[in-house]
Amino acid sequence: MLTDKTGTMKEVGLAALMLVYLELSMRVGSAPICHHEQTGCHTPPLEDLFDRVVQQSSRMHGISSDLQSEFGRHFFPSKNIIEKRKCHTHGILTPADKENTQRLGRDQLTEVILRLLGAWADPLSQLLQSMSLDKNQDLNHHNINKVLEISDMVHELRDGVEKMAEKMKLLGVLGNTIGYVSPEILAPSPTVSFYKQGELNSMDHHDLLYCLNRDSNKIKNYLRVLKCTTLPGLDC
Amino acid sequence: MSLCGAMMKSSVEVNLLLLLVFTLCVKAMRYSPPEKPVLTRCRSPEKETFTCWWEPGSDGGLPTTYALFYRKENSETVYECPDYHTAGENSCFFNKNDTSIWVNYNITVVATNALGSTFSDPVDIDVVYIVKPNHPEKVTVTVMEDKGWPFLRVSWEPPHQADTRSGWITLIYELRVKLEGENEWEMHLAGQQKMFNIFSLRSGGTYLVQVRCKPDHGFWSEWSTTSYIKVPDYFHREKPMWVLITCFCAFIFLILTWLLHMNSQSLKHCILPPVPGPKIKGFDKQLLKNGKCDEIFSALVVPSFPPTAPPNCEDLLVEYLEVYVPEEQELIMEESKDLNDLCLKSGGCTSDNDSGRGSCDSHTLLMDKFREAKEKRKPREQGSGQAGTESQGNQRDWEEEGSSCAHEDMVSPSISSGRVKTWPCVFSPLPQYSSGRLEHKGSLERAKQHCHSDTLFPLGSTSSSLDQQGQHTKETLRPSNWEFGLSNKQPHLLHPHTRPQRQLQAHSDVNISSIGHKRELRGLHSPAPESTEYVEVQRVNEENMVLLQPVDSERGHMEDCSQVPLGEDYSRVNGVDRDNRLLLQREVTQGDRCFCGDRDMNGERTENCYSLSTATMTQKPRVCIHTAMPVQDNMVLGVTGYVDTSTASTLPSY
Repeated sequence: MLTDKTGTMKEVGLAALMLVYLELSMRVGSAPICHHEQTGCHTPPLEDLFDRVVQQSSRMHGISSDLQSEFGRHFFPSKNIIEKRKCHTHGILTPADKENTQRLGRDQLTEVILRLLGAWADPLSQLLQSMSLDKNQDLNHHNINKVLEISDMVHELRDGVEKMAEKMKLLGVLGNTIGYVSPEILAPSPTVSFYKQGELNSMDHHDLLYCLNRDSNKIKNYLRVLKCTTLPGLDC
Repeated sequence: MSLCGAMMKSSVEVNLLLLLVFTLCVKAMRYSPPEKPVLTRCRSPEKETFTCWWEPGSDGGLPTTYALFYRKENSETVYECPDYHTAGENSCFFNKNDTSIWVNYNITVVATNALGSTFSDPVDIDVVYIVKPNHPEKVTVTVMEDKGWPFLRVSWEPPHQADTRSGWITLIYELRVKLEGENEWEMHLAGQQKMFNIFSLRSGGTYLVQVRCKPDHGFWSEWSTTSYIKVPDYFHREKPMWVLITCFCAFIFLILTWLLHMNSQSLKHCILPPVPGPKIKGFDKQLLKNGKCDEIFSALVVPSFPPTAPPNCEDLLVEYLEVYVPEEQELIMEESKDLNDLCLKSGGCTSDNDSGRGSCDSHTLLMDKFREAKEKRKPREQGSGQAGTESQGNQRDWEEEGSSCAHEDMVSPSISSGRVKTWPCVFSPLPQYSSGRLEHKGSLERAKQHCHSDTLFPLGSTSSSLDQQGQHTKETLRPSNWEFGLSNKQPHLLHPHTRPQRQLQAHSDVNISSIGHKRELRGLHSPAPESTEYVEVQRVNEENMVLLQPVDSERGHMEDCSQVPLGEDYSRVNGVDRDNRLLLQREVTQGDRCFCGDRDMNGERTENCYSLSTATMTQKPRVCIHTAMPVQDNMVLGVTGYVDTSTASTLPSY
């Protein structure tokens, strides 16, 4: 009997080890790839990365504009404003005109982008959760899908920008000061608490979407400027 | 104190009263505070500056000033418009320093006049959403060629204010093209590229091109100034079409050629109808085959030309002449008979071959009538000494028909069955006469002769021809200018017994060699009815020659009365009496008769008996020409001098 138990224990342990091994190996992490210019490491060229990132940001902004217009049509037909409301990302200093943007430099611009992207991951999931739980029938599934899509896109874009930054660091375009920034550090307070205690209502949804639209526009614009500053070409 | 209070109260009241009065006065004078202005639009051309325009309301009759105030997002500071002039009247221009992107502006316009100020409704704008760039610049259009096919290359540049180079603003472009003169534009979205190709151009056309741009989320710019471009002419494009057209035409041509070839014959007939061959009178192909030149040429001689008869009083145009061809020429006659058969069968007058005869000519008519009468006369036929040759029989038929036809033509049709009404009189003594011919038809006896002479015929011959038994010697000769003498050798012209039937079958195709020659009557000649040529005997001259003349309707009269008592038209044979006398009948319808003496002339009008002086004739019998029967009504005497044979039937047997 003891030998049976030990046999079983060994099997279990072996299985567990195998599982852990698989887990670790299959995890898709956001670790930078091709550290230190490893040989045989193939990364797409910077131009392609930039193109992908720029397209992704443009798509994201388009979806958010659609969402906002639908929301605005339902609740605020004529107004597109937020009164006495601040976006939770107001703490992130973003350049408001071209000179400031150009004066900022690539490094800081990249960092701003990353911060913005990081600031939205959590609120979007909460928004999604809130919208799905909303008993109000005004929210249709189409909008929920869009929010879900944007949420995914934010994540992907963030990863993409990080990879691009890594590439740029390798190329010497960016300094090494830029690193992975966790959103918890950037955000002064949890998003949910920023907006409201408790559940978000439709008004909060609207405000949230409004802020999302603006920030996605910022991201898109900053990325374009970054691209044209880094790689001046035909598109610029 | 109370007084001061009262006074103050009253002053206040007075002020209020004055104010009220003033207001009323002002209103009465139509002065009012300005109306509320309206912000119409705000635009940013490059996302760095922007301008707002407002629409003022009525100013209330007083000078009014406008002011724009704005407040930024999350700030309570109110700023006034920095620039009222750059953008024109009723506008406010925000320069780069005053412009913040992704910031809400709360803008208000205030109109102020002496009576008050009015605030407009506030407007919130975000500069990002009000971008409307200027139109693209430096639009160039050029014609380029790609493998022989031209296309337009349009290139442009973004507006110079929009900073696309730094990536601050991203523009997408759109262009439109149309042909000069058309109404609809062709739109093309070019995206972010600054160059575009247009294909499928019309050769030689002039195109108009315009370009405009728009930021990602904003407003479309105005269209750029029109660029004109003319596409040069080129045939390269149309070459395949010409090749197709050429092939098609070639195909059509081939089909037409084939059709023409198939229908060449009918087309030839249509376009170039066959020229009718010349038909020569008297031309016989068979003669050619026989190769007898003399016969051929003699056959060609037209009896009417050249005129050889001595000039007479009357024209010697004998229309109807039947000539009997003797045996020597049997062959020829057979041939001609074949032709006559053909004419027989063809029937009718119109089928006659082209011999120059008149319509409904005697020949064919003869045939028809002959055919008619033949069936009835056959039983009465009596073969008398005929040479039983087929040809004779046929000739008989010919004669019968000929006679009937002749009569038909000459006289009004009153042919009774079995009678030949008319009979041309012919006496053409062909030297080749054989005595084998014998003609005796019952019908032929009725034949009449145009005998114009008192010394005309041997009566016997005459009578024999007119015998009821069918003595008929007829010789039909070609009309006019024939002289033939009645030789004494010939017993009779129409002797019933001696039947040297010599018939000269005068036919247009028959070799009538006797034409133009002097003939000798050799006796009885059965007249051949084949010929439709009828002559009338004009006279008999001293040499015992019977002068014939063609019978026509216009016979002149003999004016002179020579010894030939032919002043009048005695061309009708009334009958032949027993004494072989040819009984002639005087033409009743004709006037101007010259009766010469020497004739037995009855006082009766209808009966004239002329006994031809046979003194000149060595031969008996005398021919007495007399009208044996009265002119009956049914006897139609045509001008042609044919006697109705119906009257002859009543001839007493002599």
